[in-house]
Amino acid sequence: MLLILLAPVIGGLVYGFERIIKARMQRRIGPPLLQPFYDFFKLADKRKMIVHSAHAFLGIMHFVSLWFALGVLLLGGDLILVIFLHLLSTALLILAAYSTRSIFSHLGANRTAISILAYEPVLIIIAVSIFMLTGSFDAAAAFQSEQPLLFKMPLAFIALLLVLPIKLKKSPFDVAEAHQELTGGVELEFSGIFYEAIYTAKWLDYVFCYALVYLFAGNDVLLGAGLIVFTFFYLNALDNSTARVSYKQMLRFSLTVSFSLAFINLLINSLT
Amino acid sequence: MYSLITLLFVVPVLISLLLLIVPRSLAKPLVITTALLLSAISVYLFIDTEGVYYFGVPAYVNDIVTVADIILLVFFGWIAIKKRSWIVGLMSLLQLAGLLYLLNSMPAHHSLQFMVDKLSLFMFLLINIISGIIAVYSLRYIDEEHCSSFRKKYFLSTIFWFIAVMNLVVSSDNLEYFFLFFELTTLASFLLIGFRKDEVSVKNSLTALWMNQIGGLAILAAIFFIHHNDYGDATFSNLLANAKAETILLPLALLSIAALIKGAQMPFSKWLLGAMVAPTPVSALLHSSTMVKIAPFIILRLSPALKDTPVANVIIALTGFVFIAAAIGALSQDNFKRILAHSTIALLALMIMMAAVGTPVTIVASLILVLFHGISKSMLFLNAGILEKVFHLKQSSDMDRLGESGPFTALVITIGFMSLLLPPFGAFIGKWMSIESLGALATDKKILGALIMVAVAGGGAVLSLLYFKVMGLLIARTGNEDKIHFEKTGPFYTITTYLLLGLLLVTVVGLPLLLNNYFTPVATQITGTTVALVTEGWTMYLGAVKLPLLPMIIAFLLLPVTMVAAMFVRFKNVDRAKEYMCGEKVNYSFSSFYFSTDRATPYFATAGILFFVALIIVALI
Repeated sequence: MLLILLAPVIGGLVYGFERIIKARMQRRIGPPLLQPFYDFFKLADKRKMIVHSAHAFLGIMHFVSLWFALGVLLLGGDLILVIFLHLLSTALLILAAYSTRSIFSHLGANRTAISILAYEPVLIIIAVSIFMLTGSFDAAAAFQSEQPLLFKMPLAFIALLLVLPIKLKKSPFDVAEAHQELTGGVELEFSGIFYEAIYTAKWLDYVFCYALVYLFAGNDVLLGAGLIVFTFFYLNALDNSTARVSYKQMLRFSLTVSFSLAFINLLINSLT
Repeated sequence: MYSLITLLFVVPVLISLLLLIVPRSLAKPLVITTALLLSAISVYLFIDTEGVYYFGVPAYVNDIVTVADIILLVFFGWIAIKKRSWIVGLMSLLQLAGLLYLLNSMPAHHSLQFMVDKLSLFMFLLINIISGIIAVYSLRYIDEEHCSSFRKKYFLSTIFWFIAVMNLVVSSDNLEYFFLFFELTTLASFLLIGFRKDEVSVKNSLTALWMNQIGGLAILAAIFFIHHNDYGDATFSNLLANAKAETILLPLALLSIAALIKGAQMPFSKWLLGAMVAPTPVSALLHSSTMVKIAPFIILRLSPALKDTPVANVIIALTGFVFIAAAIGALSQDNFKRILAHSTIALLALMIMMAAVGTPVTIVASLILVLFHGISKSMLFLNAGILEKVFHLKQSSDMDRLGESGPFTALVITIGFMSLLLPPFGAFIGKWMSIESLGALATDKKILGALIMVAVAGGGAVLSLLYFKVMGLLIARTGNEDKIHFEKTGPFYTITTYLLLGLLLVTVVGLPLLLNNYFTPVATQITGTTVALVTEGWTMYLGAVKLPLLPMIIAFLLLPVTMVAAMFVRFKNVDRAKEYMCGEKVNYSFSSFYFSTDRATPYFATAGILFFVALIIVALI
């Protein structure tokens, strides 16, 4: 419960820590840990500007619905419901981007939609695999599982690791954001206090993704922590060491490699 | 009771004839009163009826049916000659030969020809209310069509003809009668699809004709095998009574094929996609309340016999495949009506699948989908017609200004899409229950269950992407003007839209109540086992399926309300900025994105054919 309320703060800390790690990997010192929060307060002071109200409103609702999806996940709710809610919250952001007449927003929205197409099937297969193993779609069943799911569905975990960069917009799969090409894509037209919602929603996404990783640890807290730390370093190392691929390459990779891995795992799970 | 049911058959036929004769000024009150009357009768029947009613007709009606069958097939043959379509001719000849053979060899039947149970009553509600609303809408729509005054009358007349035939289809027990009515729906759809008489219309109506004739042929073959194997009279009730017999699978498979063709499952999806050329009320009619709904109806009727058979497994696999394939196929579409058509095919696949699984919970899921899909799709299609007639828009990519020029229509279409998509709207619950209950299936047949779950969930994700793609266009605005002014589209358009919106809202809000009093009794009668509906705190249990109400309610507040509110919320005291263009001046067309899935779609049809072959093979073994 506390975790849900504090989710944006935790996400912010993760982001702050990530920026330090990233800087160290590049032999820089990097910003202080609380830098994301400093940015947060600075943004709140900026002049309020919007393109139109519907756009700004949808941005805020993206944050709210993402928080809700995260809440359902952390409370051990139904995984299919969680995945749908997460999809819908992303869809609100896409809609916001479409509602403007901005080229970069549109391109960003198109690419975000393609990203959904790339990671969503894998998440669904993971949910179905968890159902096959625990007999329930509830995340609670996975959290309480005596035997960590990691050992029963290692391929699915690898598939998850392969799609997480898409979800978190990390290189090599950061096509949706792609600062150099799209100047932020869907985020572009938000500014000031209204950008705050999008900015913190990204922090929520961190918590969401690490909660998904934690699903694989069952009730083994130590293993869960280990998995999260591992995933954290893996994501940052990957982000720092790879170049962006095109969205077509991303989609192809995800639907052939990641999808097949998760699918093979599902077949194995349903055979035994 | 019987007199009321017969009224449902006779009144639309009479009105259909009357509409041809009376002057145009009388058509309006006539259509409106009849629509109200039929809806009232079907509601009354549903509330008042318990148990199953069998009733027969005098013996001379049998002869009339036989003669009508032959006349109809000869008429099809005449069409084939007139339009020079060898395939329609071939089908008609085959059907005629089959029918004559059966008439010769068949013993006289003794059983009652009609059976009205809760499933029929459920279908009555859907058919009469939704088609009634569509008929009222057509009064205005057809006025704007360029054709002679007689053709306009003829159009309205055919709609009521269709309603009558549909009422007959869902209440006939005797398969020979069923065959006639099945073919009559084919005829009605043929006439309506070809209504505009241009080259494409004629071509597509012929496609619809021969594809559905295959269905008719399958029914004839089913009748033949029922006699051949001595199950007594060829009736649905006899089929169900012999459900345990070994050789029953073949007639079941044949009837299922008829259903799958009516339901436009691949590779027979072409006729429904081609039906788009007709005036929009026809599409609304075909997609929501008539024609394609025969498919889930047949499977629901047969589900106690189909359950757990290899035939059911093939149907489940086929529909699972169609669900995801149709969703993928829809992504590359731009024509608004074609997008809707693809999503119909996908959702029909889901309904048929749920009916074929045949557990009480999946039957409920199937029924929920049938009803909500009917309401949502008719609303969407009627508004597609408004787009066409009032705003002159056909391609979805042209709709990016609709948010400003026609905010009300944009809003209604958005709500329509959401109702197919989001919690707690019916279709979402149906979809979700199907996933949950397929989980139950998966414990026995693990691989099939797992694959189907992936198909359902994945197809659902693709469909949501599709809906959001269209909704993204509808919500677009420039920001130059802050206020929205709802447009006026004329009373017939507005009233029908409000009626459907109202129906949608009532059914959503009253869903727990409806589940208890509406869906579960029907499912109970079909399966013969009671479906328990228990509410414990914030969780509702339907059989083994758990519905967490609290997240559903919050999700409802969050998502659909957000979408509606986004049109109205205005931030005060905030400066406006123009969009960032990176200093470039380019003309960018603000359309939407497409996925070129065209290359994959031919393979889908091939795969569909393979599934149909598998269906027969499995039934033979």
